[in-house]
Amino acid sequence: MSFFDGLRFRRVTSPIHNLDPRIKFVYACIIFVIAILFWELLPLIVLFIIQIPFVVVAGVKREWARSMKGAVFLASIIFLTNFIYSFINAGYKVTLPSLEYALAMTLRFLVLVESFSIFFLTTSPDHLGLALEQTHVPYEFCFAFTTAVRFVPVLAEEAQTIMDAQKARGLELEKGNFLKRVRNYIPILIPLIVSAIRRSLELAEAMESRAWGAAKKRTNLYVLKLRREDFLFALITIGILAAAIFIRLYFRIPHLEEVLAGFA
Amino acid sequence: MNEKSLEPKVSSQTKIIAEVVTFVALATALSYIKVFSLPQGGSITAGSMIPILWLALRRGPKIGLFAAVVYGLVQLAVEPFIVHPLQVLLDYPLAFGALGLAGFFRNRPFVGVNVGIWGRFIAHFLSGVIFFASYAPEGMSPIVYSAIYNGSYILPELAISVYIIFLLHESKLLKMFL
Repeated sequence: MSFFDGLRFRRVTSPIHNLDPRIKFVYACIIFVIAILFWELLPLIVLFIIQIPFVVVAGVKREWARSMKGAVFLASIIFLTNFIYSFINAGYKVTLPSLEYALAMTLRFLVLVESFSIFFLTTSPDHLGLALEQTHVPYEFCFAFTTAVRFVPVLAEEAQTIMDAQKARGLELEKGNFLKRVRNYIPILIPLIVSAIRRSLELAEAMESRAWGAAKKRTNLYVLKLRREDFLFALITIGILAAAIFIRLYFRIPHLEEVLAGFA
Repeated sequence: MNEKSLEPKVSSQTKIIAEVVTFVALATALSYIKVFSLPQGGSITAGSMIPILWLALRRGPKIGLFAAVVYGLVQLAVEPFIVHPLQVLLDYPLAFGALGLAGFFRNRPFVGVNVGIWGRFIAHFLSGVIFFASYAPEGMSPIVYSAIYNGSYILPELAISVYIIFLLHESKLLKMFL
């Protein structure tokens, strides 16, 4: 069983991964703002499609598809509640505008989920910690964050070992009713916590031997610096925002009805 | 005196940070072990909140809140779900941070655990109200929706944690390692 494979450290490099996390964060926020500016279907479709090239360039299609799949349940709830509500209000008739509105709301939700999932899928925890540190978040916090992420696979492996050991001694995890199953987790929890305390002492010794916290002012081996690509990406982001505001202010966005009438 | 000097000297500050790191990592690792999966995507984990509650009881509210907020950030990085700026704040740093409140009740662990866990539920509930208020059509009550949605997948998880802590408390195991 490998439930923690996804957390193992992998160095992935792609043009998107190498971008400055702060710029990527601004990008996600701007997509967010634009999605809130529009409530018509057509611009939201465009906004959804605009982001797909980033996913392809970053090479995270599979992870992205998984996070989108996770959003489908809530998306369908949003669609159904909006649709049923307008269906009842319109006197039990399916009308095109109501369908369009329900679809637009669903799509807005998907765009929001998409924008931040791109940010987190293409930013390694190390980069995130570094970005936090350089935005003057207390160092203890950043250190705890990055180190904890690094320790997860180690502790997950230990949890697996303890589970196997207890199973070998006759502990049945997949049997019994709900309460019994939960109770069966206690012989796993206790050794895990004891070993976590022990491991924390080892970690503390290792930290101390490297003089952790000795210097008040720290310097970094890697420093985040804005490069040419970052400026280019920032320009693209600002361009998208400017275009969105321009369209919002000076254009009337056609409804689905009118578009379909134009085709007919 | 001589015997004591053989032990490695580690400052308590470093010790505490190291403990925060390992307990947050343990909580994250446990959140991947699913005891039961619910149909709508929520799941009941093998008591993933317990390490954080334990640390809050062991080290007091300040360290507890610190660890809980770090845990919230780790959860955000591992399984991001973002639909609204306020929702992010409520669902991650505040919801998980609430677990650290347990540290205020060190003398009565069972009360503390309940405070922490209900604090988390309230944060998720409020974020659900914001979420449904911005997506559900006007006229629908977001409060009912949020209660139903969050209740359906967070409450079982909360109940499990309370149950495990109750069992640990009854068998005096909780006191032994605090």
